[in-house]
Amino acid sequence: MKMEDATAYTARCFNGEPASCSFACPFHLDIRSFLEKAGKGRWTAAYKELRNAVVFPVIVSMLCEQPCRERCQRTLIGDEAIALQELEKAVIKHVKTRKPDAYFIPPKAQSLAVVGAGPAGLSCALNLAQKKYSVTVFDQEESWGGSLREHPCFDRFDEDIALQFSAVDVTFQLNTEITKLEELNGFHAIYLATGRGGDSFGLLNSWEPDLQTTSNPRVFLGGELCGVSLMEGIAQGPKLSKTLEVFLQTGKASGTSGGYDKRDCGHYLSHDDAVPVPMVIPSSEDGYTEEEAKQEAARCFLCDCEICITSCEMLKRFRKKPHRMAVEVFTDSQAATLSSRSITRETYSCNICGYCKSICPEDVDMGALLQFSRTARMNGGIHPPALHDFWLREMDFASTEGFFASAPKGEETCEYAFFPGCQLGASNPEYVSKSYEFLYRNYNAGLILDCCGAPAYWAGDEARMDLHKEKLYKSWTDMGKPTLIFACATCESVFHRFLPEIKRISLYELLAAADEITPVSPFPAASVFDPCAAREDHGMEQSVRRLAQKAGIALRELPEKNRCCGYGGHMRIANPALYDEISRNRAEAGTQPYIAYCVNCREVFALQQKACVHILDMAFGLEAAAKVPSLQEKRDNSLKVKKDLMKNMKEEDFEAAVNDWDGLNLVIGEALQKELDRKLISASDLR
Amino acid sequence: MDAGNMNTNRGGIWKCARCAEELQTKKIVFSYLGHTFSHEVPTCPKCGKVFISKELATGRMAEVEELLEDK
Repeated sequence: MKMEDATAYTARCFNGEPASCSFACPFHLDIRSFLEKAGKGRWTAAYKELRNAVVFPVIVSMLCEQPCRERCQRTLIGDEAIALQELEKAVIKHVKTRKPDAYFIPPKAQSLAVVGAGPAGLSCALNLAQKKYSVTVFDQEESWGGSLREHPCFDRFDEDIALQFSAVDVTFQLNTEITKLEELNGFHAIYLATGRGGDSFGLLNSWEPDLQTTSNPRVFLGGELCGVSLMEGIAQGPKLSKTLEVFLQTGKASGTSGGYDKRDCGHYLSHDDAVPVPMVIPSSEDGYTEEEAKQEAARCFLCDCEICITSCEMLKRFRKKPHRMAVEVFTDSQAATLSSRSITRETYSCNICGYCKSICPEDVDMGALLQFSRTARMNGGIHPPALHDFWLREMDFASTEGFFASAPKGEETCEYAFFPGCQLGASNPEYVSKSYEFLYRNYNAGLILDCCGAPAYWAGDEARMDLHKEKLYKSWTDMGKPTLIFACATCESVFHRFLPEIKRISLYELLAAADEITPVSPFPAASVFDPCAAREDHGMEQSVRRLAQKAGIALRELPEKNRCCGYGGHMRIANPALYDEISRNRAEAGTQPYIAYCVNCREVFALQQKACVHILDMAFGLEAAAKVPSLQEKRDNSLKVKKDLMKNMKEEDFEAAVNDWDGLNLVIGEALQKELDRKLISASDLR
Repeated sequence: MDAGNMNTNRGGIWKCARCAEELQTKKIVFSYLGHTFSHEVPTCPKCGKVFISKELATGRMAEVEELLEDK
C-alpha cells in the first residue's frame, strides 16, 4: 500500500482547513482561532494570533475593509457577520502588553535594501529583520509611513509602526532618494515598494505577482506600486520575507501560495440547527468592553466541518479526524504484525453503512477507507480472524448445506427468480414460503437460496468473494439469467457491486403493485425504518411506504433516514459496546413503532424491545414474532425452508447432514440462551 | 481442592464425558495470531481435551485476544 492509496479516500475532506472567512482575509488570519481565544477572554493569545498575521494590528484594525464579513457563515442564517474589526480593536485595547517578542537568533550575513518606508516596505523589512537579516530602509521623505502619512489618524499608525520595530535592528536612511539601482549594489537583494506611481526602475512590466520577482533576479517589487491595495501590500510582507529568505540562502526565489489561491473556498456548512444571535453593539464609543467582546466573539460558529464525526457513533467514539484516519490506515499497513497495528479496533468497528458519505458535503466515505483497510489486511494475512469468523461460517453454511437453486416446478429456466438471502428464512420460514408462493403464482419465478457474499465482503476477503461470485453467477446462468427479486437490501447492494450485469428488482415493488395483497397493520401509526443498504434504492423505499399506506397506517418519517441498525459491517464482535449503543440509538430515534424491511433491522429492534414489524408480516398478515429465534432455531429454519421448497419444486426429499454430537441433549435455560445468542454461540457449537 | 482433581462450583468433580476420567489441572499453551500464552486449565488425563471455564474465556482469554488485536 502506498500512502496515497489511503489518503485518496479523504483527499476532499476539508476538516481542519481555514474557514471561509480566513480565505477571504488578505492576511489569511486564522479568524476561527482568533475568535475562539477572544471568546474566552484570552487577550494575549488572541493579540499574538492577530499580530503574527497582520504585522501592524492598529493600522489593520482601523483600515481593513473586512472582506471576511462577506464570507462569515453567520450571514447564511440571516445574522450580521461577526464584527471582526471591532473585536480586533477590543483585543488591542484589552491585551495587557503589546510589546513585541524579541527573537534570539544569530544574525545572518546577507543584507536587504528596502526602497520605500510605506506600509508594504515596512512590513517586509520588519519580517526579514525578525529573521536577523541586515535590513536597510530608504525613503526620500523625512519619516516613515508612505501613503498613510496623509491619514488623519497617522499618529496612531506611527505609534504602531514604532512599537513593532522596537524589538528589531533596522537601519532607516530617510531623506534619501534612490535614483539608480546601482546605488544599492552592496545589498544581496532589493525590495522596491515605492508606492502608487513610484519608481520601479523600469521593472514593473516584468513583475510576477506570485513570487513578486522581476527580470532582475536581485530585485523584487510590491505594495501599491504594483497596484495592490494597502492591506494586500502589508500582507505581502510575511509571504515575501519567506521567498526572500530562500533567495538569500540559495540564490533562487521560490515559495508557496500556502493553499490560498482562491478567496472563496466554496466550503460552507449547513447551520440548520443554529440559533440566530444579534450582533453585540458596543455600549460606549470606546468600543467593546471585555464582556461585550467575549460575547461578540462567541457568536462565531468556529466553522469547521466535523459532520461525519458528530453524526457517526463510531467516529465519535474513536475521535479521529478523517485525514488522520487515512494516514493511520497507511501506517498500520506497514506494521508487520497485527499486534503492532494501532487502528484494528476502528477498522472492524465500522458498519460500512455509507451514512458518513451521504451527509459529507464532499462525499468522503470513511467506510470505504476502512473497507479498503480490511481488504488490505486480509490480503496481507494480517487480520484478526476472531472478529469475522462467525459470519464466514454462516456464509459457508448458507452456501453449502443451506443452498438450493431451482427454476420453477417443471421448468429448466425462468424470467424471474427469488433471492431471499440467508437471513429471511432463518428469521421466519414463512417470509420465504409466502413470498415464493406469491412470486410463483404471479411471475412463475424460480428460487436461489444462497448467501449474497456480504460476510466475505465485510471481512475484506476478496478471494472468498471472487469464488462466491462465480458460484452465484453460475446459479443465475443455469437458470437462464432471470431478473433476481430481492427482499434484502444488503443482498441487492452486494449484487449491484459485484454482479451489476444481473437485473434486479425488489420484492416489495412487486407486492406494492399487486391487487391481491391487502396488507394489515398492527399499529395505527408508525415510522418506516429504511435500512442503510437501501439508501440508493428509492424504488424499495417507496414501495414499502405504499404497502404501509395501503394498510391504513399514518406514516411519520424519522429525522434521519438509512441509518444502520448496528448489524452492518459485522462489527458486533469487534465492538459489542458500540453495537449496543448504535442499536439503542436507532431504537430511540423515533417514538412510534417501526416498520422494517430488513430482517436484521427487525431483529435488532426486537432485542431492543422496540415495537417493530417486518413489512412481510403486514403484507401476508403474519403474526409478528416478538421473539428473535436463537441461532440454532435460525439454522433449523433455514433448513426447513430448503426442505419444504425442495419438496415443493423438485419433489425431492432433503435430509440435513447428521453429526455424531447432534443427539446430545442440552438443557439451556432462558437466561443462558440469551447470553449465548448475544455472544453468537449456537447450540450445535456447544455440542 | 485436591492437588490434581477439579471440583465443580457445586462441589462435584468435573469429569470428561467421553473418558469418564476426572479432570486434572495442567499448564496449557494457547496460541492466537502467532503469539502464545499459557494457563493452568482442567484437562482430561486420557484424551487431553481441556475444559475452559466461562471465567477464563470471557476474562483472561478475551483480554489477551484483545491485546493481540489492538495496539
